[in-house]
Parts: sequence; structure tokens; C-alpha cells
Amino acid sequence: MTQNALRFSNAGRMALLAGSCLCIAGVAQAADPLVKACAKDGEFVIGFSQANNAEPYRQHVNDELETAAKAVPQFTLQIADGAGNVNTQTSQVDNFITQKVDLLLISPFEAAPLTPAVKRAMDAGIPVIELDRKTNGEAGKDYTAFIGGDNYKIALAAGEYTSKTLLPDGGEAAVLEGLPSSTPAVERLNGFKDGVKANSKIQIVAEQAADWLPDKAQTAFAAMLQAHPDIKMVYASNDMMAAGALLAAKGAGKSVKIIGTDGLPGPAGGIEAVAKGDWSATFTYPTGGKEAIDMAKSILLDCASSVEPTVTVDTTAITPENAKQMMGK
Amino acid sequence: MSEQQITSSSPIQPVKRIDPLAVIVRFQSLIGLVLVFTGGIIFSPRRHGVILFIQPDNIANIVRAVSETGIIAIGMTFVIITAGIDLSVGATLGLASVVTATLMVSGGFGLITTVLAVLLMGTCFGLVQGAISSKFRLEAFIVTLAGLQAARGLALVVSGNQYINISYGDGPGLAPPIFAVLGGRLFGNVVPVATIVFLIFACIATLALNTTRFGRYVYAVGGNERAARISGVPVSAIKIAVYAITGFASALAGIVHAGQFNFGSANDGTGYELTAIAAVVIGGTSLFGGSGSMVGTIAGTIMLGALANILQLNNITPAMQLLATAAIIVLAAVLQSLVRRREGLGR
Repeated sequence: MTQNALRFSNAGRMALLAGSCLCIAGVAQAADPLVKACAKDGEFVIGFSQANNAEPYRQHVNDELETAAKAVPQFTLQIADGAGNVNTQTSQVDNFITQKVDLLLISPFEAAPLTPAVKRAMDAGIPVIELDRKTNGEAGKDYTAFIGGDNYKIALAAGEYTSKTLLPDGGEAAVLEGLPSSTPAVERLNGFKDGVKANSKIQIVAEQAADWLPDKAQTAFAAMLQAHPDIKMVYASNDMMAAGALLAAKGAGKSVKIIGTDGLPGPAGGIEAVAKGDWSATFTYPTGGKEAIDMAKSILLDCASSVEPTVTVDTTAITPENAKQMMGK
Repeated sequence: MSEQQITSSSPIQPVKRIDPLAVIVRFQSLIGLVLVFTGGIIFSPRRHGVILFIQPDNIANIVRAVSETGIIAIGMTFVIITAGIDLSVGATLGLASVVTATLMVSGGFGLITTVLAVLLMGTCFGLVQGAISSKFRLEAFIVTLAGLQAARGLALVVSGNQYINISYGDGPGLAPPIFAVLGGRLFGNVVPVATIVFLIFACIATLALNTTRFGRYVYAVGGNERAARISGVPVSAIKIAVYAITGFASALAGIVHAGQFNFGSANDGTGYELTAIAAVVIGGTSLFGGSGSMVGTIAGTIMLGALANILQLNNITPAMQLLATAAIIVLAAVLQSLVRRREGLGR
């Protein structure tokens, strides 16, 4: 992906628009709405089962969802924190089913463990929109829809950016991985490695897991710099670890090119770090919060009989060229 | 379940008067459970006049959610009565879940073989920790802290840093479909199988603690180790045995976890040790050892689950849940300390 090819996925929205147009045209009148109790002036409770509030990225998802939900007076959003525990998250989904929420949003902490809970919600007639992470099965059948980014593609874009723009002449690179054996960590690691394969002069000399945490990343990257003083760049699987890597590089008195992932807004976020020139780039992982509430609107308010089963929100490369203008967004 | 008064059989036994406060402490978690349930009914959201909190499905959700930590808390009760502690339980659950998944998925082992192997592994893991702690006279806190790290490390090695999904069927790479029953419900699709495992284990443990010589020895070791040694209690063996029990319990919880969630991950069970310790303390078992009750632990476990449930049904933030749990732990500990002081035990 080139730096200036900023793309925003409108596919989902277009599909929704097309869907509602069809309804107006009276083509899809025969189809039942997804939710029978749907109504323009109804009152609806949306339950959001979040995987782990402790992660800054997920707090950012909560914020965006709350903002989007507040703009719809008919909606009440309830957020439950799964605290990074599949058992807790399962029981919270069960509680939402007990409450008979009108729609379930979920970011499953892991796919297979939350699959039965999602099935129970669907069986209870509650539409399920999965955000950022999927459970097993087929979108549109086992759950209503998936909205999210693609971890592998985002990391692949970071790898390609490294190959072409950051280290065109090659050199030593390092990787800070998330929590080992968690899905996003594995996908981002593999994506980046595949991305740098484009340039055979780049060698990945060190890989360490830092569990998404800045302090662990600082320690790990400091050790990497000791062992490999010629490291030219480091890919951090999230912004928090990139912040830790920066501290380690400063401590060692070295200038290392840093790429983060997530592109969090705000004073401690990745966008600002790129704008200040501390990092070379970060690749946003869009929350899909707004898209999710839009989809909830079409299901609950507009009585949609079907929605786009998979909406992929594309990553944006935050580079020195666009960081300043992205800060205000 | 029996609710008879258990008196510690330590040979140096002060003559006891019946202290009403002591009676409250004996049954504090049962009283707490009744209070939480009463509160749950009062504050439960209603839908069309139906009280959601006491719907069979909701009660099933509560007892399902606590089954894993409950199994661990039962094992932990034995250890804490001997004045020990086991911090490795959550990590052992994670290890057991990956080993269970690996044996069935890549190993092609059958259900019985897998379950027995994992239970044996957990028991041995606890046994080794107990033996090290006993032989080198090390604090259990330190040994099991190392055990926690070791179990997580082993789990990552076994799983090759990947989570392991369990798919069911007949053939290579597939687990026997019967294993998925752990995620199911029986008796009219209401009672979760995980809960049934928890309750069976709870009954066996309660009998073992309240009616056997082993149970009396556990109390004796925690009450006064020297006196127990002099009166012929095999102190070292008992101390090693209670860690073997927590290891067994953690492995059992790990098997239940893998079966419920079709999944093994090295990260699972993180923090369960603290939830289990909280349930044990709320149940009226003293960290100083020598006194405690299994029924109390079981009630404490369910109480914490019911509390979490009613708070979420009312959309109260997780922060309040943590603060409420904190208050309950402090209250339980203060009540105990008052009783100890009255009994002239000082601390």
C-alpha cells in the first residue's frame, strides 16, 4: 500500500444504503425483518461484550461506540468487560441473553471459546454483530455480521512499507510480538514477516513477545539493542509496545525507526508519536464502532431484513506526511 | 451436605464456650449467600413481571460461571487450612487445558486416557511443589510462585506459543465428541455439566475434610504443627498431600475448561488463584490455618458469582463489582479476627 492511497471502506455503508433502497422500492417486502420488534420510535438495549477493557485500544473502541450510540436517542448501550477471560465473557453474554437485549455486539477474547455463547444468543433471536474479532462459523449464518479490520493485512502493509520506504537498502529489523498464542499476536507477526519478504536485504534478527505491554517492550527491546547494536527498525504489534521501544532506544542513545500498530488517537497515542517524529509510522486498526451502530440502526430502526455479513474496515498508514492532519480526526 | 460443627482435633485444645460471633463466622458465607440472593431478588430487573435473577437459566449461568474457580477453591481450602497457600493453580489450569487439547488433537489419545493423564500430571505437579516446600523448608508462597511461572512456561512450550482449538469427530486431529458434553447442559437442558462436576467434587472434598482421618490431620497440621508432630500426625506427608490435591483440582478445572470452551491456551486461568483465595477466605477459612469449612468455600464461591451476576443484570460497572468484592473480603477477615481474639489466639 502506498502512503497516499488512503482508503476508507465504504463497501459496508454502500451495502446498507442499497439494502434500505431495496426496502423502499418494495422489492424485499416479502422478507421478514431481522428483529420483529423493530420500530423507528422504539427503545432498544444494545449489549456490548468487550474482551478486555484493560487494553487501551479496547477502551478506544468503547469510547467510539459510546459516542456513536449517544447520537441515537432510541439506543441504550451496556458494556460488559470480559477482563481477558473467556469464562467471564461467556457468563456476561449469557447475562445479556437473560436480559433479552435487543442486539448483541461482541469482541470475543478468543474465537472457539465464545462460539457456543454466540450460538445461544442467535438461538434466542438476538442478532449478533461481531466487532474486531470473529467466532467460528459463517457470517450471516452463525452470527449476523462481522465488522472489523484484518490483522494480517495490516501487519502485511507495515512489512511492505518497511521493505519499500523505510529500509529500501535493507538492514537488521526486530519484532515485538503481542501476547504469545493469542490470535491477533500470531496474525500480526505472520503478516509483518510476509511483508518484509519483499526485500531480501532485510533480516529479522530478533523476535520477542512483550504481551502488548509497554514496560515489557522496553525491557525486551533494550536487550535486543544490546545483542544486536545494528538494528535499524523495530515493528511493534501495538502502539503501547512501540512507546516502550522508543524509551529503550532513547536509553541506548540510538536512533531506531519504529512502526506501531493501532494508530490510537489522543496525547499518548501513535498518531501523535508519528506527528512528533518519534516513530516512522503506525498503521491504524479501525474500531468499526460507528459502522456497528449504523448497522444496529438499520436492523432495529429501519427493520432491515438482511445486512452485509462482512464489513472490513481498512487500515490507514499514518506516516510523517499525513500524521498532523490525522490528529484532528 | 453436612453442616455439623467441626472442631479442630488438635491435642492442645482450649475448652470452648459457644460464642455467638463464632457461630456467625462459621456460617458467614452461607449467611452472605442468602443475603446476596435476597438482594438479587429485590434488585433484579423484571421483564413482564418475571424476576430475571431467579430464572432457572440465570441460576444455571451463575453456577456455570463459577464451576472452574469453584473446583480450584475446593482444593485451595485444604491447603489454606494447613496454613499454606498455592499460587500456581491458575497457571496449572492453563497448562492442563493445553495438554488436554494437545493429547486429544495431535496425540490422538482417547478421552479416558487423556483425562487420567492430565489429572496425573496436575497431581504430580502439586506433589513436586509440596515436596520441595517440605524438604527444603521453603515458604509455600515462594515455591508455588515459581510453580506458577513454570506451569505457564511449560504450557507455552507444549502449545508452541499457539492456542489449540479442539474440533470434534472421528479421525486424526479430532477429539472424541463425548468430550464436548462438558460444555452442555443436562436435566431438561438446564443444569450445566461443568457445574455437576464441581458439585460432585465438592461433595467428595467435603466428606474427605469432615469425616476422614485425613481431614482431621489437615486441621491438626494447620492448628498446631508441633503438637500434631508430637501426637504422631505425619506432618510432611499431609503437607505434600494437600498440594497434590490442589494440583489435581487445577487439572480437573483445566479439563472442564477445555471441554467447555473447545480450546486450550497457555494464558487461560490467569488470576484464578486470587479468585479462589477470595472464595476460601469469604467462606470463613483462616489464612493462619487450623480452621475453616468446605461448605463455606462452596457458598463463598457461589456468592461471588451471584454478586457479579446481579450487578451486571443491573448494568453496574465492573469497578463496583471489584469494590464490592473487596468490601466482602475485608468484612470476612475482620469477623474472623474478632473471633480469634476472643478465643485468646492473639492474632
